[in-house]
Amino acid sequence: MGNKPDSAMSRREFARRAAFVSAAATLTPSNLLGAKSGAGPLPKQQPANTAKLSPEGQAEVDSRIQSILAQYGSRLSDTQKADIRRLAIEAQPSLDRLRAFATENGDGPALYLKPLMEREKKPSPMPAPPKPASAPKNS
Amino acid sequence: MPGEEIFYLSVSELAKRIESKKLSPVDLTQAYLERSQKFGPRFNAYALLTPEIALEQAQAAEKEIQRGHYRGPLHGIPYAAKDLLAVKGLPTTWGAKPFANQVFDYNATVIDHLNRVGAVMLGKASMIELAGGMGYRFASASLQGEAKNPWDATCWTCGSSSGSGAIVAAGLAAFAIGTETWGSIICPSAYCGVSGLRPTYGRVSRYGAMALAPSMDKIGPVARSAEDCARVFAAIAGHDPKDRGTVPIDKGAFTYSPSMELRARPLKIGWLTNAWKSLEPGVAKPVEAASRVLRKYSSSVRDAALPVGPWEEAGGIIVAVESAASFRSLIRSGRVSDLTDPLGQIAGYVNEQYSAADYLQALKVREIAQKKMDSLFETFDVLATASQPVPATPLPLNLETGLVFPDPLGGLGNICGLPAISVPCGFTEKNLPVGLQFVGRAGDDYAVIQAGRVFQSHTDWHRKHPKLH
Repeated sequence: MGNKPDSAMSRREFARRAAFVSAAATLTPSNLLGAKSGAGPLPKQQPANTAKLSPEGQAEVDSRIQSILAQYGSRLSDTQKADIRRLAIEAQPSLDRLRAFATENGDGPALYLKPLMEREKKPSPMPAPPKPASAPKNS
Repeated sequence: MPGEEIFYLSVSELAKRIESKKLSPVDLTQAYLERSQKFGPRFNAYALLTPEIALEQAQAAEKEIQRGHYRGPLHGIPYAAKDLLAVKGLPTTWGAKPFANQVFDYNATVIDHLNRVGAVMLGKASMIELAGGMGYRFASASLQGEAKNPWDATCWTCGSSSGSGAIVAAGLAAFAIGTETWGSIICPSAYCGVSGLRPTYGRVSRYGAMALAPSMDKIGPVARSAEDCARVFAAIAGHDPKDRGTVPIDKGAFTYSPSMELRARPLKIGWLTNAWKSLEPGVAKPVEAASRVLRKYSSSVRDAALPVGPWEEAGGIIVAVESAASFRSLIRSGRVSDLTDPLGQIAGYVNEQYSAADYLQALKVREIAQKKMDSLFETFDVLATASQPVPATPLPLNLETGLVFPDPLGGLGNICGLPAISVPCGFTEKNLPVGLQFVGRAGDDYAVIQAGRVFQSHTDWHRKHPKLH
């Protein structure tokens, strides 16, 4: 079988795609989140075994986690908070790859999927120009 | 009462016997019900058995057929419906504890279609909770528990149509209805050694089906052969004004008869060289043999390569954002914590955070992917490769960390709404089934069915079934 670039998002199936994660690190929750529950101070370190994020990417992840904890922190255990942090970190490289893909201002988003079921992009054949009237053969 | 082998007969063969009145739909239904009661719990295959409905429908079918009113090849044929399809008055749990008591007062369009052709519903097939819409880490992510593979009960059936795969593989029904947003028909079909059709997006109405990612959700059959898939697909396909995602009337319907194959075009098959990074050795061997079969019986098999791009990333964002919207009230209310799976309990919180700009970028990428794939289908009628690079996995496996590989074809096929079929193509040394997948151009469902039919006309893997005692 051929190879695909290793940068491809590594997720086996829909199950984990739905969570938008790539399999990677196993975390030690206590290393990550000190707060028992609710929105607490964010840990500064990245979990081991995850790709290093750019400062901008890290800030985005932190912001995302802060938002989750502010809204839902009181209902989450420390283990869940750590898992959420891991998911957010692991999703960032995929987001970066998606954003890096060149699209033009005029590229239309497939707002509601319409499969290309007909050759819509092909112009219909132009009607043939009218032939000049030929002279009657036996005139 | 029918013997053991009848449980593994194709729809086409059962239909012949029913039409000729050699087989009673009531006897067949009773036999399937008894078998389902006996083996269903062993595999956690059913969410609910509905013997009263089944027998009522079977008796009605029998009376009609006796009177000479034969409706067609699904008349009197028992099936199971994935438990995300609404059936009036019955629990429709979506495989999830928060919806354990949910009851709708209407039928899904697919159920109405199957009623119309006289099929007999045996019950609701178990499934992964919310069809995996909140993510899941373990095979046990289901209200019904982990679906066990009839070929090896220590292994999983794959999800999310996990019960549908188990039911067909174990001979508990003649066919089942599954759904796929990303992999949920193709993977269970491969793991369970059955044939499964993922139709073109929009060919089958989702009205009355649980919405997960509405721009990617599809409904299709899991059955014993490509031909059986075609027969079921013909019954359920078509435009539905109640599902605005369905394609127009003139492109929605599908008709099938075996005679179509006599005038079918020779298929140009692209053998994909970059669909999987690698295949597990036990899978590689049968898939290589399948490739040889295709090359022997088709003069138009050439290597093909998928375009490279962030297709999986785009699909991931689309599913994440749309599922967060579909289950918004579940997430916000906190009832998401009632889900079984630890990942399912939290992933929705993360999915809610993605921006509209990122979602729209994913939709732009989808548009580009559609054009690239359509261009590839200028050269090929179907693309072929292994359905999965691995066989059925052990039940306790952590899916998040235990299996890691890119799936660009799954990404492309599902974000572009392309039809696909998985057909059995052999077994590993441990006797676990291996699947071969054909993917076609949007709207050309017939090409993938034809490819499956051609392959199955030269092989008999689809006739193998596990021995149950």
